[in-house]
Amino acid sequence: THTLTTSEKDNCRNQYLGTCLIFRDALFLINSGDDNGDLNADSNDPEQIFQNIQFQKEIMANIRCRPWPMRQKLRALRQAKEIVLKYEGRLTRTRGYQAAGAELWKKFVRLAYNFMVIFIPWEMRIKKIESHFGSGVASYFIFLRWLFGINIVLTIMTGAFVVLPELLAGAPFGSTISKTIPKEQFASAQDLDTIWSLGGYLQYSVLFYGYYGRDRKIGKAGYRLPLAYFLVGMAVFAYSFIILLKKMAKNSRMSLVSASDENYTFCWRVAVTICLRIIANILVLLSLAGSIYIIYFVVDRSQKLEHTKKELTLWEKNEVSVVVSLITMIAPSAFELVAALEMYHPRTTLRFQLARVLVLYLGNLYSLIIALLDKVDSMSIAVTNSSTSNWIDSTTFLATRTLPEEDNLSTTVPDIRIKGNSTLTLEKSHAQNYTIPVVLVNKTTSYPYNMQSQKDQCWETYVGQEMLKLSIIDMIFTVASILLIDFFRGLFVRYLSDCWCWDLESKFPEYGEFKIAENVLHLVYNQGMIWMGAFFSPCLPAFNVLKLIGLMYLRSWAVLTCNVPHQQVFRASRSNNFYLAMLLFMLFLCMLPTIFAIARYKPSLSCGPFSGQEKIYDIVSETIKADFPVWFNTVINYISSPVVVLPALLLLFMLIYYLQSIARSLKFTNRQLRMQIQTERTEDKKKVVHIAVASIQNLEGNDKRPEQENDLTNQESSARSSTPRKNGSVLNFESPVTKGSRILTISQSVPQADVARPANITPMTPTPLTPTPSVPSIQNVVHGSTSELCKTKPYTPLTFKKHVEDVHSEPLFRRGIQQVNPDTFGAGAPAFVGRKVPTTRYFIVNEHESRKKLLRSTSRLPRHFRMEESGNIVELYPRSVRRYVVRTPHRTYSPHFSEEEEEEEELRKDLINRSYRPRSLSDLRPGPRFYIGERVDSQILRGKDLVKMHYKSWDDGFELEQDRPPHSHKKSHMKHVALDQPYPEHHVKPKSKRNLEQSLTESDSISIGSSSDQQTSSNDQYIQVIHSKEKYLKSGAKFTRKKPKTTVDRNMSESNELICSNV
Amino acid sequence: CKLGQSVFLCCLYTFPSLSRLFYRYRDLAPQLVPLSYIDKPDVKLPYELIGSMAELKDNPFRQRIAEVFSEDGEGNMTLDDFLDMFSVLSEMAPRDLKAYYAFKIYDFNNDDYICKSDLEKTVNKLTRNELTLEEVCLVCDKVIDEADQDNDGRLSVEDFQHMIARAPDFLSTFHIRI
Repeated sequence: THTLTTSEKDNCRNQYLGTCLIFRDALFLINSGDDNGDLNADSNDPEQIFQNIQFQKEIMANIRCRPWPMRQKLRALRQAKEIVLKYEGRLTRTRGYQAAGAELWKKFVRLAYNFMVIFIPWEMRIKKIESHFGSGVASYFIFLRWLFGINIVLTIMTGAFVVLPELLAGAPFGSTISKTIPKEQFASAQDLDTIWSLGGYLQYSVLFYGYYGRDRKIGKAGYRLPLAYFLVGMAVFAYSFIILLKKMAKNSRMSLVSASDENYTFCWRVAVTICLRIIANILVLLSLAGSIYIIYFVVDRSQKLEHTKKELTLWEKNEVSVVVSLITMIAPSAFELVAALEMYHPRTTLRFQLARVLVLYLGNLYSLIIALLDKVDSMSIAVTNSSTSNWIDSTTFLATRTLPEEDNLSTTVPDIRIKGNSTLTLEKSHAQNYTIPVVLVNKTTSYPYNMQSQKDQCWETYVGQEMLKLSIIDMIFTVASILLIDFFRGLFVRYLSDCWCWDLESKFPEYGEFKIAENVLHLVYNQGMIWMGAFFSPCLPAFNVLKLIGLMYLRSWAVLTCNVPHQQVFRASRSNNFYLAMLLFMLFLCMLPTIFAIARYKPSLSCGPFSGQEKIYDIVSETIKADFPVWFNTVINYISSPVVVLPALLLLFMLIYYLQSIARSLKFTNRQLRMQIQTERTEDKKKVVHIAVASIQNLEGNDKRPEQENDLTNQESSARSSTPRKNGSVLNFESPVTKGSRILTISQSVPQADVARPANITPMTPTPLTPTPSVPSIQNVVHGSTSELCKTKPYTPLTFKKHVEDVHSEPLFRRGIQQVNPDTFGAGAPAFVGRKVPTTRYFIVNEHESRKKLLRSTSRLPRHFRMEESGNIVELYPRSVRRYVVRTPHRTYSPHFSEEEEEEEELRKDLINRSYRPRSLSDLRPGPRFYIGERVDSQILRGKDLVKMHYKSWDDGFELEQDRPPHSHKKSHMKHVALDQPYPEHHVKPKSKRNLEQSLTESDSISIGSSSDQQTSSNDQYIQVIHSKEKYLKSGAKFTRKKPKTTVDRNMSESNELICSNV
Repeated sequence: CKLGQSVFLCCLYTFPSLSRLFYRYRDLAPQLVPLSYIDKPDVKLPYELIGSMAELKDNPFRQRIAEVFSEDGEGNMTLDDFLDMFSVLSEMAPRDLKAYYAFKIYDFNNDDYICKSDLEKTVNKLTRNELTLEEVCLVCDKVIDEADQDNDGRLSVEDFQHMIARAPDFLSTFHIRI
């Protein structure tokens, strides 16, 4: 599969800023789908058509990225296409052509990309594996493929600049001594045995260092092969480093983007079993030391064997590689067993395992290379002064040997590239350091032998051979282990489990698991071998390419046929950079021995491109001296003089220090920023909530609009509801004057942009009774309270949502809503129209409250509900909220209200608190309103009949005041009010028990409010006072505890009320 | 593959992979699924067949995935559903689309919130019931604590998207290669 082009992705991303958008899109499309026909039929405006077409095209372009089921997508697409086809003709052609051109280009780009994808090797295979085994296993194969890519480049480098020129232009095979197989070996040069140990023809081929000619220039064009050899050798390392670092930087950049995800991680508890762990570590260390010792021992033994034995068996020849490969195969499993002792968290186990295996592999390679170099050492130390025919043997035990035997040995043993004894280096200077006791054997030299031994002593070839051999043996072992451990085990388990005494599939052998860590490390180790030997065997990368291809096919086959997914699921993407880091580490460590050998040892005299030079790297300075103009030479001389080098070095150090300090400060800043993010996350939470509120209200708005308008029309009232505003601009709502009652506009600033809320209409009737000066104060109050509302917004959405759910899920309530809306308008508007004084007083009360509340920013939701409600239940609410809030009191008294419903409510615990309180408070609401007018009456009434009294008095007052200003549409108001009127009767008449309950809930909620949060519930207290004041007359002892405080409150508020009423 | 151009335009797939998908679908039940979809046959493969696909077999959420993407909500899939599923799970699908469906998948009780019980189910499925009850509770509490933006004790779509936006390997892990 293929990825989208970036532009497409961007499109998609832009389309999907959030799910809210998705929802809206969906809604919009559904809507537009329904009325597309109408929309287009009556619109002939070209611009509109064009926009519509653009919109449809956008839909077509982004339809893939929409979370709709296929059917819906198809439908939308078909519609969009129809519309585009139908109306595009009406527009100018050019626009269409432009769009079509862009579309065509996009398609072409995508097609080209798809075409490119085909050439990614093994893409399908890896995908198949990934689909079966997850991204962890796939990451191994992707890593393998990446290594394959690197090796291809390395192969091309060595092939193009070293191997091919040598083959094409170099001296042909057999032309020089270094390119001919010695006569003694010629007979056996084609034996499988010889070939197997990379002797014979293979040894004298482009595979190894020794074959390359020493001519400074080859061919007609004068290709400088030795220089090229050296430079390519270095370039291999340089390229590997660069590509690795680049990849790592890319990876870490990607992970840096997501670094903030640390916010979302947390630690696992780790069972600590220290004792076991110490044992485990000791075991691991022991096995590591043991493996290193074994390797060293084996190399040493092979050395000795070569000295002592005439004929080496196949085993003896390959002993070293076999042992090394065996160790690399067995030890990781042993470590795994050990790791089981430790009982770490899987991830930690994996890390430990990886680290241990890496150390093991490194130890193996290092002990091998050190042993080899040791051999080389002894080879180069073995010096012979051919002119004096002094044979110097480095090994003491050979000193006793007689020359014929030696001769014999060198002639009979076909591939005698072993030097210890038979290596005769013409010693130029005796000043060479030899530490080993040297025995001089005076001897009259034998003659062709001299020449031959010169050839045999090519230590570079020897190292190259060893590395290649190791690589081959490693490959064989890998294949064998795959077949044995995975395939045959799989076969065994699969077919013998039926006739076995236990369940093979689930108990002991089981099916093999794909061990990602070990396998990846094995790749790293393999690559390390290549890097280590690439200089001495230029064809090693090419061989590795073949090996990797084979491995890819074999592994993928084995994985798919006989492995089961790993038990521990771990996050591979995290480990990717870990792999790379290990590879980098490996590269560095593998480069060291090569560089060391290049710098430390003298190149072989008789073979290789650098023969005759003191050091390999001399080729560079020699070239500069000979082939470059003089001035360049002097420049180089200057540059390489200490005068330049030392300051340059110093500068480098300074630079490093500087960069490091920058990095540190950046890290510091990073940490700071992260902390800032952490702190802002809390802010973020609020914002998200705001968005949520907005989106919900959007949805709400869509649903609700028609309903409300219906209500309005039903009502026939000119007092319009305000339209919800999203951008918190100052909203002026001018309502038409209606028959004597004028509804004043309250301008209100909505501070939060994303909170959609209606304007608060406060219908005011400037009847002679109400003085105008009171209006400003009202506005102030409104401001205050709304700002508070906004503050509390973060906590509200939950209830909103719940209400939404309720509304949509329960038809019972829906009816209630239908009633409620008229209710709000009917009861709200005319009530205010009728009772001006209470309204005014109300606001002042509210102001009093709000001033108090402003001091507290952390007030919780329900109280605000209450406060708003007590202040002005209908008008102060945002449209959507109002709907629910208003519903609650309504429901309380509605005839549908039953015990069942109450129980149902009790089930929803969240709702209980919130619905009870408003209910009780809304009960209270009429109380204070009416308090002044009917004070005497209500005081007379008993606490038990309190609620009844309220409604009765409320009704009375209402009618009283309704009488005074005669409205033409009074009837309609009354009708809606009448909906309310049944409550008290309904409530009171059938059962007085309800009353009791009501008052109980009141007092309950009040006591909850006041006891839980004395400060924030001052509003409650106030209302409670009003309410309970009457109670106090009869049963005052109930609230004695709060009496002092509440009475003070009451006095205050009472005075307020009085003032207002007086005014 | 006679699916027609329109289906192709609706998937996040290229044509070759689309036809491959179709044959994958068809291979699940060759006797049921016709070769041509031109006359729009109404074929539905039962969940048992869908869930036995190699790509889904080892996925702990396979049933849930099938449920979310199937139109009947029970995991029985038409070809359209099938294409939809792999389209969303392909690596070409944008993050938000994936997040939207991931949310649906994790929302086991379909209440549009990931509540604690959903999380517990998720964790149990992910860990193959290897965690003890307390550990699962701990994980769920932590997750809710970290991701819940409005403190309502459950994760809404916004919370989830917010969290996903910060998860680096969501894109690479929430896909099925086919």
